[in-house]
Amino acid sequence: MNSMNNKKKYDTDTTSRVQASLKKRYAREKRFQLYGRMAVLTGFVFLFLLLADIISKGTPAFTQGFIKVSLTLDPEQLDIQENPTKDDLWKADYSAVIKQGLRDMFPEVDGRKQKKQLYRLISIGAQYNLRDYVIEHPEAIGKSMQIWLMAHSEADSYLKGQVKIDDPEADRRITDNQASWLDQLREQGLTEKRFNTTFFTSGDSREPELAGIKAALFGSFFTLLVTFLLSFPVGVFAAIYLEEFAPRNRLTDLIEININNLAAVPSIVFGLLGLAVFINFFELPRSAPLVGGIVLSLMTLPTIIITSRTSIQSVSPSIREAALGVGASKLQTIFHHVLPVAMPGVLTGAIIGMAQALGESAPLLMIGMVAFIMDVPGGITDPSTVLPIQVYLWADSPERGFMEKTSAAIMVLMGFLIIMNALAIYLRKRFELK
Amino acid sequence: MDTVSMRKEHNIPGESAVMDKQLADKPLEGIVENLRECDVRESKKVHQYETIGKPFTDNARISARDVNVYYGDKQAIIDASLDIGSNEVLAMIGPSGCGKSTFLRCINRMNDIIPICRVEGSITLDGEDIYGSDMDTVLLRARVGMVFQKPNPFPKSIYENVAYGPRIHGLAHNKAEMDDIVEKSLRRASLFDEVKDQLDKPGTGLSGGQQQRLCIARAIAVSPEVILMDEPCSALDPIATARIEELIDELKEKYTIAIVTHSMQQAARVSQRTAYFHLGKIIEVGDTREIFTTPQHELTENYITGRFG
Repeated sequence: MNSMNNKKKYDTDTTSRVQASLKKRYAREKRFQLYGRMAVLTGFVFLFLLLADIISKGTPAFTQGFIKVSLTLDPEQLDIQENPTKDDLWKADYSAVIKQGLRDMFPEVDGRKQKKQLYRLISIGAQYNLRDYVIEHPEAIGKSMQIWLMAHSEADSYLKGQVKIDDPEADRRITDNQASWLDQLREQGLTEKRFNTTFFTSGDSREPELAGIKAALFGSFFTLLVTFLLSFPVGVFAAIYLEEFAPRNRLTDLIEININNLAAVPSIVFGLLGLAVFINFFELPRSAPLVGGIVLSLMTLPTIIITSRTSIQSVSPSIREAALGVGASKLQTIFHHVLPVAMPGVLTGAIIGMAQALGESAPLLMIGMVAFIMDVPGGITDPSTVLPIQVYLWADSPERGFMEKTSAAIMVLMGFLIIMNALAIYLRKRFELK
Repeated sequence: MDTVSMRKEHNIPGESAVMDKQLADKPLEGIVENLRECDVRESKKVHQYETIGKPFTDNARISARDVNVYYGDKQAIIDASLDIGSNEVLAMIGPSGCGKSTFLRCINRMNDIIPICRVEGSITLDGEDIYGSDMDTVLLRARVGMVFQKPNPFPKSIYENVAYGPRIHGLAHNKAEMDDIVEKSLRRASLFDEVKDQLDKPGTGLSGGQQQRLCIARAIAVSPEVILMDEPCSALDPIATARIEELIDELKEKYTIAIVTHSMQQAARVSQRTAYFHLGKIIEVGDTREIFTTPQHELTENYITGRFG
């Protein structure tokens, strides 16, 4: 009886103690959850602010203002003879025709200074557009016509409403005269906003309205192509060898430590290495995606090797045993069974490495990919630049028009990244299904 | 203390108490979970035991003689000698960590993949030395198939699971032959009727019992001579177990089978001969009926009567 009482007492004691501690435990859990939510929320807010800022600044860059100019293709002003050859048409003076057209539209403009301001409404690039048009339609020579010409970046900026006209004239790049002319043009329906194809079809330029992302986009593409082709197979095969075949001894330990250390080396060091070895010693072309890709693959290799090894390691041994048990050789076991199962992890590693490479600029500065490149590279040995460096170059430019281009270039860079990730997810899903 | 004194008829109560105490001091469960933890040399007594019963047969398919297995510097099997006869089912029973799985894996050199594992002694398959320098492990494993404790189908379709072995060994010359092999193997593993409409579905989507039968089908698809089964039913429910046991009974018409099991009822049901392992030593081998009705060795009796293990 006594012992039963004791037992009961003990039981209630435990219950009350547990109950007493329960409140504290739940409170702790709730607090932890709250911290977690706050952390996630903060992260989201900052991400949202960043994206909102970039998108709001970058979106206007995807449109471009155009001005409709009436002009006469006077052969005299064009400085061409009768029956001009194509070569003559190339050399003809189109800017004179455009200037004449503008003067005719605003006959009240007088004086050198005012005329100069008037001419600055139209982009320098407009004369090349006109040239291309005339070469295609030589029959237009001598006739009057109306043609949409690209606005100068400052005029474009005013048309987009980015200029505060209340500011003192000295503080803005658009003069009062220019503003009133643009207002008149707008009222007459002679201005238009169009999708900015130039941004996607041309390389860098000194003029914001003529600058495009294509050269950098292709540069990034070629560089990443070289990086992927070098680092993915080498990385995966190195991981397989180290994980499955290499004996465990001092040498392989040393190699392993070195691979891990390599992943932590500052990227600019790889750039120095690229400069010293690939450019100075092997005399590979400067500023080329080939060298950039080699340097970046040195950088991504450790990432790919480490993640591949981890995912190969984590393949269940029962799969290996099953394959060996039916008489598969070691190589067959690895390639038929281990690698397919490890593939999602390997791809994840590869995509992390490639994303790093895509955003990397420091080592590429060292090997000369920071040059001003107007031409779209046609291959891996042409001089080119890459997206992050283009962002840096534009951010560094004084012209106001480059501000929106910078944000737009960041958007393109992120788009590139999203496409790459989407591809990796798609591939991973396919491997997982099998 | 010689072996004779350890036998049942000489059983002294005090002796048994010493044994039990020793087992209590060295709880088997501790040793067990990891084979590599098990160093049999620590137990001096086991070292002195001789295998009793009838370890050898006249129609031996597999003969092991004085096999010692080491994991690093720890010994997992001591002087094991055993025959597995043609078309018989040999059951290996014993407490966990006693080396029966290790012994089984020696027969198709599965232990090769464990770098620290070392095998001494001789094991022959039809007179050929399994550990000889001219023995190819790929060929050996094609001749000696294996079914593992946990069903481990490849993460591929049911068809691919069965077809994989024949394909890598080049056993089928065309699609029709391959289809034939797959169907026959699945039928022999009594799985075909259940999966014939979903051969392209992943093998991992089947139930546990079906998966294990799929693994058996995969093993027999390469027409091995011997099939090793390492606790094939340990993860299955009684109904699935019963089907596998039925299957083993049918398979022995064509194959020689060695099965490791923790279930003594299962050993009694499916096997013709039984070997009892204890701490790396084969203690007793004999006809299953005799082992379970009149065990000669005290350890065997203790085990089958459930006093430990």
